[in-house]
Amino acid sequence: MTFSMVRFQAIVKKEWKDAVKNPQILLLAALPILFALVFEGMADNRLDIISYPALLALSMTGAFTQSTMVCEEKEKHTLRVLMLSPATVAEILLGKSLLTALLTLVVMIISMIIVGFPVYHFAYLALMLLFSLVMFLSFGTIIGLLSRTVSESSIIGLPVLLIFVMGPFFAPDLGGDALVKIVDYLPTQQFMHALSALTEDGGFNEIKWNLLNIAVWTAASLVVCLVTYNKRRFDK
Amino acid sequence: MQPIIQVNQLTKAYANKKALNGISFQIHKGEIFGFLGPSGSGKTTTVKILTSQLLHTSGDVRVFGNPIAQSRHAHYLGRIGILTDNSGLYERLSIYDNLELFCKLYGIPIQRIEEVLTEVNLAAEQRTLVKQLSKGMKQRVTLARAILHKPELLFLDEPTSALDPVNRQHIHEALRKLNEAGTTIFLTTHDMEEAESLCGRIAFINGGKIEAIDTPQQLRLNHSDNTITLTTRQGRVTVERDDSGAARIAELIRKGELLAIHSNEPTLGDIFVQLTGRNLQ
Repeated sequence: MTFSMVRFQAIVKKEWKDAVKNPQILLLAALPILFALVFEGMADNRLDIISYPALLALSMTGAFTQSTMVCEEKEKHTLRVLMLSPATVAEILLGKSLLTALLTLVVMIISMIIVGFPVYHFAYLALMLLFSLVMFLSFGTIIGLLSRTVSESSIIGLPVLLIFVMGPFFAPDLGGDALVKIVDYLPTQQFMHALSALTEDGGFNEIKWNLLNIAVWTAASLVVCLVTYNKRRFDK
Repeated sequence: MQPIIQVNQLTKAYANKKALNGISFQIHKGEIFGFLGPSGSGKTTTVKILTSQLLHTSGDVRVFGNPIAQSRHAHYLGRIGILTDNSGLYERLSIYDNLELFCKLYGIPIQRIEEVLTEVNLAAEQRTLVKQLSKGMKQRVTLARAILHKPELLFLDEPTSALDPVNRQHIHEALRKLNEAGTTIFLTTHDMEEAESLCGRIAFINGGKIEAIDTPQQLRLNHSDNTITLTTRQGRVTVERDDSGAARIAELIRKGELLAIHSNEPTLGDIFVQLTGRNLQ
């Protein structure tokens, strides 16, 4: 099946027209920036606080916006209509994801500028952020496909936010070696480790295992996303 | 001529119930075929299987000559149109924006939007947001979207359930025109008047089984009680459709007492009750 740019662009255009009239999506885009403004004075060069708005942008604007958009399509039966049109899986999923990806990138960059996010080794940082973006968009798509309603997607999505974004901050304080060890495998924790290494002038050797962890999470989330989509394309 | 839809011993089973229990039928090119049955009889399940939204449990299902399992690709989906009771419209977008998206997805010119909106009597409303439309208007937009690409085969699941009589008439006229242009229509409904007015053949479905398939006229003749009601100057009289009835009619005519003759054919609803013991609603 061929990829049609016309169909892909039509889906992106529809997403844009729909998103700018959706207050929930506009709010999800604004929240990380508001948090960045709050954290700006508190950062005091602490990496965990400095990177928090970027992770919030990935989870809120990335995952939550995507899950809201996908789930609303399911709830209103528009996803079914798209699936029954000649649009392919790739055109639908990429068309739906492009707008969220661009929105997340803009929100993330604005948030990072506000808190003074340190940019060392731009290429590595960009790669980590790109992987994380794809991963959170996949999480959002999976949550959207598994939820029956938009409100249910928020309920299912909240643990993702808590585990992936809050986990690295609170796990050490909650105690328990096992919990800390589990959290250490999370891509967000690996992102923080890598960021810390880069600020101490580390290079590829210092962050290669962190990068691998993030890449594996990204690949796994993409596979789960595609499997979920293919399972959900049929009614039960 | 090979049928457009060929269904043989189709079953769909869930954990504790059979939604379809070995149904068989064929639909030929250019037909309007009606699936008439009450809620929960298996009509929507059949449409979902034929449009590859649902996997069947057993049996042979072919559309355009190909097994349905192989039919889920852009080429097949470009040849069919689907209208269900769920509108599936983007509420924050206008009617025009909704249809523009599908013009691009099906690769058809934007000018077609004006044509289909005229057919469903909504040309003047094309810039209105879908969320501001009534249920009946949304149903008409959904039909416009389903026929936008002039499908060879159109599946209509309760297409006029939310419409008033005037708009129902509009939709029926649009469907007849589409059918005259060559589109085969598979219509599910529990509205016997709609089935009778549109369909060339009808299948009665109940509890996942097809109880009868024929033309509306033949179904009525097959289930007629073979009586004729005569309106005379003395009142109404019912006679058998045989020699004695003929003699009685001749006598009444000779005496100048016969005012009107009505053959007693049952309605499709009556036949459905005869066959299943259930009402269509």
